[in-house]
Parts: sequence; structure tokens; C-alpha cells
Amino acid sequence: MLVLAIDTALDACSAAVLDADAEALLAAQTLDIDRGHAEALIPLVERVMKVAGVGFEAIDRIVTTVGPGSFTGLRVGISAARGFALVTGKPAVGVTTLAALAAPHLSESDAVPVVAAIDARHGNLYLQMFGSGGRSLVAARACGLREAVRAVALGPVRIVGSAAEMLAAHWPANATPPLAVEPRGAPEIIWVARLGAAADPRQAMPRPLYLRPAEARPQETQHLPRR
Amino acid sequence: MLVLGIETTCDETAAAVVSRDAEGRGEIRSNIVLSQLDEHRPFGGVVPEIAARAHVEQLDLIIKKAMAEPGLMFSDLDGIAAAAGPGLIGGLIVGLTTAKAIALGAGKPLIAVNHLEAHALTARLTHGLAFPFLLLLVSGGHTQLVAVEDVGSYRVIGSTADDAIGEAFDKTAKMLRLPYPGGPEVESMAKKGNPKRFALPRPMLGRPEPDFSLSGLKTAVRLEAERIAPLSNEDVADLCASFQAAIIDVVLDRVRTALSAMRAAKRAPNALVIAGGVAVNRAIRGALQLLSTEIGIPLVLPPPELCTDNGAMIAWAGAERLARGLTDAFDASPRARWPLDGAGTRPKESAGG
Repeated sequence: MLVLAIDTALDACSAAVLDADAEALLAAQTLDIDRGHAEALIPLVERVMKVAGVGFEAIDRIVTTVGPGSFTGLRVGISAARGFALVTGKPAVGVTTLAALAAPHLSESDAVPVVAAIDARHGNLYLQMFGSGGRSLVAARACGLREAVRAVALGPVRIVGSAAEMLAAHWPANATPPLAVEPRGAPEIIWVARLGAAADPRQAMPRPLYLRPAEARPQETQHLPRR
Repeated sequence: MLVLGIETTCDETAAAVVSRDAEGRGEIRSNIVLSQLDEHRPFGGVVPEIAARAHVEQLDLIIKKAMAEPGLMFSDLDGIAAAAGPGLIGGLIVGLTTAKAIALGAGKPLIAVNHLEAHALTARLTHGLAFPFLLLLVSGGHTQLVAVEDVGSYRVIGSTADDAIGEAFDKTAKMLRLPYPGGPEVESMAKKGNPKRFALPRPMLGRPEPDFSLSGLKTAVRLEAERIAPLSNEDVADLCASFQAAIIDVVLDRVRTALSAMRAAKRAPNALVIAGGVAVNRAIRGALQLLSTEIGIPLVLPPPELCTDNGAMIAWAGAERLARGLTDAFDASPRARWPLDGAGTRPKESAGG
């Protein structure tokens, strides 16, 4: 099965073609950019497909990260994935940035839980803790630093993501310190591809995982009194 | 040729397929529009993040419908067009990225269309109109008089210094506590009201340049309303009627001025074309009809569903550009601001792709 994987949700723009049965990465490229995904992604996919030497008719599945991350960035990847799905008639699946960040650590060993922590700016984090078999121990959430520490500093853990160091720096003195801290701005695209290959293709089209409501308040305009 | 058009600049998610024959005649094969009115209603206006969220959830389904209705496959198409601006950046990114993915996946050229250009060219789809013509583009976001001289050749000869006309309608409605969206509500209240009860200003009337300014008129409505508050239904109707009458006087005067300017420049237009959401207003349409008879210029009114935002106009503009070999590269940027006479609509500045 050939999987086209893309990720634009965080501080990178990545694409890869994975032959999932052969466990062979045919092509992968990552640009370290935190903006300009809307311009960069499709030319990147074009290059990756060329390097992989396959046409879109050969792609069996499209996978994209769905967030949490930059609202604008994750919509680039989802729009592209759903567009590719339309034109190829193949399923598109979504994987979360949190799961993709945690995946390589869990694959190494799932004896110690893995916390994926993404900097959501202004002292906030996107957070999830995974245990054995990738089971979610602390559900994906957007929260402040203090709540994050309270939720995950219960025992020995490994931390990965752009907020890994921030979380580790605020670890309580009486708790077991993190066994590993890996700051990463974005998941490795091969793990996005692998998780996508393992996902149920009958799931619905990939949808954004924002974890935060849209910023919008009902307008308070000055109304004139009516009789 | 067959072109798919995608429109996501504001609060409609839309896709359409349009054909263009060798003689330049157009035909709409499908035209699907999904309005987000209900999502935005609680906020009394379009909320950009809510609009972007709705576009990304719905666009591929709308495209699917637009392709299924005429029974087309992507391989049947000759190009994929999307509105790349001007508009709300979140929606533009969704529409343009989807178009690029389809274009790359199907091996078809991409056409990044200026939304205003699409409004400008609609009359050629509906009426086969020849250049040049004068376009009055009036919507919630835009108020412009444009000399449309060729595909990619537009001269903005009049624009607004502040509010768009549609915006003035919406703000008036909100002030008078009429439901959202306010434009049609003001129009229907105006029908029952006395347009002469309030002496409202006609900003810019008689100025030599065909520009607009609406914020003073809006303020005048507020002052009159505050003066007589609390308002009865009759008061509201009279305010709406007086406001709309002022708008019509201004529009007619500004259109006359623009027509004279085009004629004086020896570029007499073949017709006056009206487009944009406000072009649906019957009182304005009626007044322009009278003006066209009086000064002897044909008035071209596209049907209401092609005046408001839609995918057919994007597909058509894409077809017109594609017929001239104007396509765009896959790194084309969405552009929140993109003046009609700015870079990128003119043929020489278009990238090959």
C-alpha cells in the first residue's frame, strides 16, 4: 500500500510517500517553516511524488495531520488531503500531531508513558499522554502550564514536542523527573505516514482537531430603543 | 473547455463547472453554493475563524456535487480555478489549497482568480458582452466603478473612501435592530416607508471623480434615529426608505460621472453592468434601469444568484484566463488584499505553470 503523507500543522511543511507493506520510505522532504505552508505544500508534494517515481493513480491512501496546531496550518494539510482524496477517489485519513510526536518513542518502548506537549503560545499547551499500546492516558487537551504539570507529573514519563522543555522546567520537585525530554517543532513525517497506514480507512474524511473554540463573541452594537 | 471554479472568499462555500466554447460562449454546467448564514447569525456578521472552519469541513463535498451534477470526472476538465483573493485569508487558503491539490492530482492547470475580476467578467458569461463595459460592483465588502477593457485589463475609476454600500446597509439594519443579514431587511422595510421624511445627505454628489463615501450617511441615519427614538415600526420603515433613497441618488450620480469619464476618454462602454450582493436590491436595479433608458446605454443585470458570491463566476474567469494561456504556478499565494488593477490580474505578470 502506497501512502502519501503530509503535515503542515506545526513548524514544518512535510510530505512523504511510504510503501507501507515493504516498510520503505520512497521519498520524504521537510521544510522548517512556521508560515507559508499554503505556498510551499503543493510544490513540495509534487517534488516528493517525482522523487518517489509514482503517479497519483498509484497512491492508495492520503494521510494528513489534523492538529492540534496552527489553525491556518492544519487547514492547509486537510484541504490538500481532501482535495487529493477527491481527485484520486482514494481514502484520506487524519492523525493527530500529538500521536505522531509520541509514536517513535512508544515504538521504542511503551513501558514508560510518553507525553506529547506542543507550545500553544501565551503559556498554553496542547497536551496528551500515551501509555502501553499507544493507549491515551491523559486525553488531548489545550491547557495552561500549571494544569499540564498537574495532569502528567504523576510518575516517570518521557516528554516530546515544542513545549517539552517548558514542561520539564516546571516539573514539581517532589515528582520523578522526566526520563527523556525531546524538543521537536513538528512530528517526523515517516511516523505520520506509518500511523496513517495503520488507521481505519473507513473513518470519515480528516477533520480539524482545534481543541480551542473559534475566537468570536456575539457583537454588542448599540441599539436604538424601539417602541 | 471545461473549468471547475472554487469560491471561499467570505461566507459562501461554492463550486461550479462552466464550459466555454471556441467562440467564447459560456454555459453553466453546475453551480453549488452553501451559505454559512446560520453559523454567523449569532454574531451579527461574518466571523473569519468561523468562516474558515466551515469552509474546510464542506468544500470537498460541494465540489463533489458540482462534478456529479453534470456527470463529470476530473479528467474531463481543462483547468481548476479558485478565488485567490481578495477576501478572508482563512477561507482563501482552504479554497486555493484544495484547487492546487486537485490540479496537481489531475494533471491540470491551476488558475488563481481575482474574486473582483470574476464579478467583472460574469456579464460575458451570462450575456456574451463585448469589451469595454462599465462595471458597478457593489457588495458588503466592495464598492467600485470599473472600466472593464479586456481580460486582465481593468481600470478602477471610482471606489469608496470608507464603507462599502452593502456594509452601510448592514450597519443601518443593525442600528435599527433588523435581523441579520441586514441588506434585504432594509430593502423590504424601505418599501413600506416614506423616503422623503428624513433629509439625509448625499455624500460625494456632483464630485468630478466617481468615488463614494458612505460613513457620513450612516452617521446621519443614526442621528435622525436618535433624535426621534424610541422608534415605531413606521419610523424604522421611513428611516430605511430615506436611507435607500439617498444611496440610490448617490449611485446614479456616481454612475453618470463614470460613464461621462469613459465617454470623454473615447472608451465609450457597450453597457453598464452591475454585480455584487447589493446588485440584488430591486430598488437599485429599478433605478439603474431608468438611468440606462434615459442616457441610452444597455444595462446588464446578471441573475441574482450570479450577483452574489458563487463558483460559476470563478470558473468562468478561470476559463477566460485559460483561453488566453494565463495560468498560475502551484506556489501561488492567497491574497487577502488584491486590488483589481494591481499586479497579477494583468496578463504579463501571470506566471506560467
